[in-house]
Amino acid sequence: MDLITIAFYFFSALTIVFGAVVVFTKNIMHAAFSLLFAFFGIAGLYVLLSADFLAITQIMIYIGGILVLIIFGVMLTTRITGVDVKTGKIGKIQIGIAGLLTVLIAATLIMIFSTSKWYLADSKPLDSTVNEIGTALLTNYLLAFEAASMLLLIAIVGAAFIARKKH
Amino acid sequence: MMDISDLIKSISLFKPETTLIVTFMLAMILDMAFKKSKNIAGYIAIAGLVIAGIFLFQQTGVNYKAFANLLVIDSFGQFMKFIVLMSSLIIIVFSFFSNELHNAHTKLGEYYTLIIGMTFGMFLLVGSANLIMIYVAIETMSISSYVLAGYTREVKRASEASLKYVIFGAVSSGIMIYGISILFGLTGSLNLFEINQFLSVNNVATLPLLLSGLMILSGFGYKISAVPFHFWTPDVYEGAPVTITAYLSVASKAAGFAVLLRFFKTGLLDSVPGTSEAWQLLGNIDWHYVIAVLAVLTMTLGNLVAVWQTNMKRLLAYSSIAHAGYLLMAVSVMNDNGVSAVLIYFVFYMLMNLGAFFVVQLIANKLDSENIDEYNGLGYRSPVLAVCMTVFLISLAGLPPTSGFIGKLYVFSSVINSGYIWLAIIGVLNSVVSLYYYAKIIRNMYLRDVESAKTKLVFSPVTIAIVLMLAIPSLLFGVYFTPIVEWANYSMNIFVGN
Repeated sequence: MDLITIAFYFFSALTIVFGAVVVFTKNIMHAAFSLLFAFFGIAGLYVLLSADFLAITQIMIYIGGILVLIIFGVMLTTRITGVDVKTGKIGKIQIGIAGLLTVLIAATLIMIFSTSKWYLADSKPLDSTVNEIGTALLTNYLLAFEAASMLLLIAIVGAAFIARKKH
Repeated sequence: MMDISDLIKSISLFKPETTLIVTFMLAMILDMAFKKSKNIAGYIAIAGLVIAGIFLFQQTGVNYKAFANLLVIDSFGQFMKFIVLMSSLIIIVFSFFSNELHNAHTKLGEYYTLIIGMTFGMFLLVGSANLIMIYVAIETMSISSYVLAGYTREVKRASEASLKYVIFGAVSSGIMIYGISILFGLTGSLNLFEINQFLSVNNVATLPLLLSGLMILSGFGYKISAVPFHFWTPDVYEGAPVTITAYLSVASKAAGFAVLLRFFKTGLLDSVPGTSEAWQLLGNIDWHYVIAVLAVLTMTLGNLVAVWQTNMKRLLAYSSIAHAGYLLMAVSVMNDNGVSAVLIYFVFYMLMNLGAFFVVQLIANKLDSENIDEYNGLGYRSPVLAVCMTVFLISLAGLPPTSGFIGKLYVFSSVINSGYIWLAIIGVLNSVVSLYYYAKIIRNMYLRDVESAKTKLVFSPVTIAIVLMLAIPSLLFGVYFTPIVEWANYSMNIFVGN
């Protein structure tokens, strides 16, 4: 195994293990901190795919911004650490059906990923992608880029409305 | 790569959407500037929608792939955008008369602003020819509708509705974007035209294609509330303000159906044998049957569950699920006749469904209840309203001489012409079931509590005029439907661009 393969397995394991912790833990603080490592693992995977810009964005926005916000959100709400995420009971039948579905979907996905012929792009020499992404965003994807800004504006208006006190 | 002449032409064809964005901003700013006026944002929204409508009308006959193939401007999109535009306009007018909104808030600036934002999202969705655009557009309309569904947030069930909507919406977007990623992995492109070209040249394994298609369908299915992606519908429809419920049941379904049809025709149509009689789809998957099964499930569940409902909003929610089923039936035949049937149906569905919801809203304004028993004796307490409601309900049930009958006629004939007799039979049986619960309301209005001692309900002449403006066309189009059919036939060609 070369170094890149080892790094790949390391980051994958990091993402999956901490992703599982996020889902299964009952303590909301643990979940928030595990999310940090899961995001970091994904950033590592982006680096291995030589998607440098994406990796940095992942770290800056998800870890630096969103996650810190989540942790603050959890800490600022009243009862800090002792809050159980899960409440109520789930019946055995529901667990059974959910489990069955999960196994079925997972099996299908694994089969598809291992057997399908995937589209392979021509490999390019390693280079910074920032320039290309910037050009694409302002030419071929101009509309998507601008529409996303409109989406954010709508989201801010909505969030401000929800957060505002009644008047 | 997009060159500058394409950009200039694209921007000039983007005028309706640009108008909506400007309206959005103006509504927000002027609402803050004029603190006294309660509905100022609403008037601006109406003006903006009218101007957008004029720009939209100017695009008649244009077929163009704008913004480097991100957006398609064609007559099919124009038709659907008109449906969205009309229903936005009607909903804003409804909102002026909504007690529940005006009681909950002293000002409704954000409400009208978000309706414009949602209209913008739906306009984008109708024209999108790129999976990224589709995703961004769906999110734009979803986020506006989440907030709108919980707009009367002091009312508990509205908050619950909004939260459920967000959670289901997030899950279905997640599934959809996963499906998009698989499709991207198979074809190496997000652009529907390029995906189409890739699939027509290369052989792609069936199973991954089917799976990604189903996952993407779940995103669209959520918007049109097709079974099994419908779970949010009854609760959200019941909890949201009536105006928003009506809006979700018409406009967001129209946008969902538009993107569904465009996805299949642009992305998967095999252009080599290409006739309009039956679309040959790429890949070895029989999408006819996938959609037909969805259609059967959707209309059967919608109709059967609607029978037990006692809350009018819930009843109309299930009825709207059933109508999505009829429309899916027309989609499942996968030819241009089916598209035309969907378009025709939508015009009539918009009139009758919005009308029925407006009557529910007016009754709720007076009686503060949406229970079906409150409609007892309505035929004597408010004769005009009851007659109009009867027209809407008969039209929804699809009986002549109303426009709903013509809509159903075209849907069923498109299904039968393509040889799916069994599907048409299930559809007709479903219509019979639906007749039961629609008739139940009519029975309550006329045959229950006949010698009512309750006071007469008096509605302002303006509201009665609005109801009549929806009821009369519902009847009129039942006998004189040629213009709508001609318009739909003119618009049924989805531009695939060669």
